[in-house]
Amino acid sequence: MDTFFSTYGFLMVQMMLQALLGLSLYFPMMAGQLSLASPGFYALGGYIAAVISTKVVVTQGMYPFHLLLLEILLGAMASGVLALLVGIPALRLKGIYLALATIAFVEILRVVSLNLDITGGAVGIFGIPQPFANPLSYALLVLPLLILVAWFAARLERSRVGRAFTAIREDELAADAMGINPTYYKVLAFVIGAMVAGGIGAISAHFLNTWNARQGTFDAAINVLAYVLIGGSRTFWGAIVGGFALTALPEILRPLGDLRLIVNGLLLVIGAIYLPQGLIRPAWLAALGKRKVALVQPKGEL
Amino acid sequence: MELGTFIQSLLNGLSIGSVYAIFALGYTLIFSILGIINFAHGAVFTLGAYFTYFLIGGVNNGTGVLTNLGLPFGLPFVLATLLGSLLAGGVGVILDRMAFRPLRARGADPLLALVLSLGLALLLVNLAQYLIGAEILSFPSNVYGDWLPPAINFGSTENPIPVRGVQIIIFTVSMFVVVILTLLINRTKIGKALRAVAENATTANLLGISTERFILFTFFLSGFLGGLAGTLVATSFSISGPYFGVTYGLKGLAVIVLGGLGDIPGAVVGGLVIGLAEAFVPGDFSAYKEAVAFALLFVILLVRPQGLLGRKVIQKV
Amino acid sequence: MTTVLEVQNFTRRFGGLIAVNEVSFAVQSNEIFGLIGPNGAGKTTTFNMMSGLTPPSSGTLLYQGKNITNLKPFQIAALGMARTFQNIRLFGNLTALENVKIGQHIHSSSGVLNGVFGIGKARAEEKQILEKANELLELVGLADRASVEARNFSYGDQRRLEVARALALQPKVLLLDEPAAGMNPNEKAALSDFIRSVRERFQLTVVLIEHHVPLVMGLCDRIAVLNFGQRIALGTPAEVANDPAVIEAYLGGDD
Repeated sequence: MDTFFSTYGFLMVQMMLQALLGLSLYFPMMAGQLSLASPGFYALGGYIAAVISTKVVVTQGMYPFHLLLLEILLGAMASGVLALLVGIPALRLKGIYLALATIAFVEILRVVSLNLDITGGAVGIFGIPQPFANPLSYALLVLPLLILVAWFAARLERSRVGRAFTAIREDELAADAMGINPTYYKVLAFVIGAMVAGGIGAISAHFLNTWNARQGTFDAAINVLAYVLIGGSRTFWGAIVGGFALTALPEILRPLGDLRLIVNGLLLVIGAIYLPQGLIRPAWLAALGKRKVALVQPKGEL
Repeated sequence: MELGTFIQSLLNGLSIGSVYAIFALGYTLIFSILGIINFAHGAVFTLGAYFTYFLIGGVNNGTGVLTNLGLPFGLPFVLATLLGSLLAGGVGVILDRMAFRPLRARGADPLLALVLSLGLALLLVNLAQYLIGAEILSFPSNVYGDWLPPAINFGSTENPIPVRGVQIIIFTVSMFVVVILTLLINRTKIGKALRAVAENATTANLLGISTERFILFTFFLSGFLGGLAGTLVATSFSISGPYFGVTYGLKGLAVIVLGGLGDIPGAVVGGLVIGLAEAFVPGDFSAYKEAVAFALLFVILLVRPQGLLGRKVIQKV
Repeated sequence: MTTVLEVQNFTRRFGGLIAVNEVSFAVQSNEIFGLIGPNGAGKTTTFNMMSGLTPPSSGTLLYQGKNITNLKPFQIAALGMARTFQNIRLFGNLTALENVKIGQHIHSSSGVLNGVFGIGKARAEEKQILEKANELLELVGLADRASVEARNFSYGDQRRLEVARALALQPKVLLLDEPAAGMNPNEKAALSDFIRSVRERFQLTVVLIEHHVPLVMGLCDRIAVLNFGQRIALGTPAEVANDPAVIEAYLGGDD
């Protein structure tokens, strides 16, 4: 068992971190907004943690846990503020236009971080100190965080704000006519997602020991989007299951060697064509919960 | 800015901008007909360059499965480019038949098609990496023939302002393609039908235009343009590996948004604007050159989402 | 009687087309006001301007004497004007109960943290929202199917659910866009009684668009008739029915 954990400890924590990133993209999606901005905020949070722990505070030995918590908070706050600034103009855009604007946002941040001194330019920042003795110990922080954010999402869905999100997702115009301010709630959902991504970035910077511009790229955005869409975009479980599955997949497919990346793409294609609602569907969860057959079978649409 | 440097930047900008234009035309054609953005377009760009490279008799010096292999023959470059681009068009056709059409048949959300296209991009890029490898493949420097000087001096002997011959060829070829395509769309029957489908697929269907056939043709044309753009860029630089087309894929988005999604003349204008904007980035800020297209994309989305040439769309309640 | 809603010189152009041209009328509080006219007369465009969905090209909208012309739909809804849609815009993938809960948005105020942690007023609010939603579903006769997704209801039931959702806003003015469309004769007959009872119960002002002329004549206190974007008549059902311009519009140039 010990060898199992020491071999797969890194992967397990990575799966949790990626599930959290999936959740960060799920929040705007709750309000019907396809944002690919998560990796941008993730990168920002990571840089904040990396700069603080390597340039601002110099510590010997194990990095203090309270400083890590502070970094998470700062990463989340900074991302939240940036999301507010970007979101207010950008969330007037709908559908594909919003997705494109967020892609541009991520790319701009990436080029900027490649060129600043404080972010270490193209090399990035390395030797980020460790707050935990080994990779698996990160789970002590990351697992409770995952449970907390998932619980937060579950509770939010059943609250007034969550209902406003879903109403906008279902029909923005009708929601507007029902007295729901679409801009306010779309920006709110975007900011919540950004804060999650920023906080996770701060943890990841320590976890990965090094941080550079490759953390926040278009490719990363696509991966995170794939978690949510393959997992299922109508329940927070989708982001978690998708994040777990797609992060573990390359490991599971390791025997395939170089072919595994092809399989990754193939799964996305097959998923989009044959599993348009993703792996986890709310109707199934409802049926599981109530132990009775769902009243209605989902029809063919998304 | 000195006149010489100005001319140099202008020509370089027009050259790269014209490639952006024909590449983006492939994007925007599909958007105009289907309302989807095909992210696999960047991968088709890469494949087009690979096809041409192998058709002229290039040997794979990558470490993929097909290492050290090449075709037993080599075609003349012009023929190879044409054939390579046709093959890229064929890839477009296959993508539509095997992936986009099944999705369309179900009337799925356009955003799902976006995800599908991302999956296809991932698939194609990694397939190329598996078969060919991640190494750089370069076209011979005299691929256009020995008559083309490596550089043409637009300055004086003491104060040379060299512009690479390849750049001038690229600009000429791209503009030629733009003209042909414009004629195709505005003057021919097939072009008119294409515009009818773009305007309204259902109505076009009622008028007896077989929408599916035109969608297929559009995918072919889009692939052809993408592949041709890939070959042109590769002759100017080299094929930097399977991810060669990714940057162009992303910049292409900026081009089509700038021109207005689905707007054909807009894609040409957008391509030239972004090419020139990049070329005129001052030397001190050259590190930020890569961000120019995205900054323009972001700003134009916020200020004028219908694009430079587009008209405002009235939303129906 | 006081004027609750006043439309002054509403004009809306779409490109070169004038959909609504200098239309004016005033709605008195507690009346049932009908807006009728042939297809393409500009009824729905007028409605959309009244609820903020389509900004008028020119003209003024007064609500209780206050100028609300340039307010957004959600702001107008919050002032006490709720509407239904001609082509029914329910939240199809959500249950009937959730649809009506969403309608109560403006009458609750708990934010993210209150809602998630169930603290502050959120808990009491949720209880109240649930009770009110059940009450409204009861009123429209859908209480037994509260957990069915809206898209699975029959056409008539969807119309009733949409009314319940609009009533959840506790509006002072209820705008109904073709409430009888797609209903069978029995349902249409019941609809008149239902609208009257709702008016009594909630002390509402009702403005409705309707095609079905007998229904409008029997139900409305006053009627405005639109044709080609212009108001051609205004008055009681009896006055309107005898108006030569109305007879011409309905019988003469009818398509």
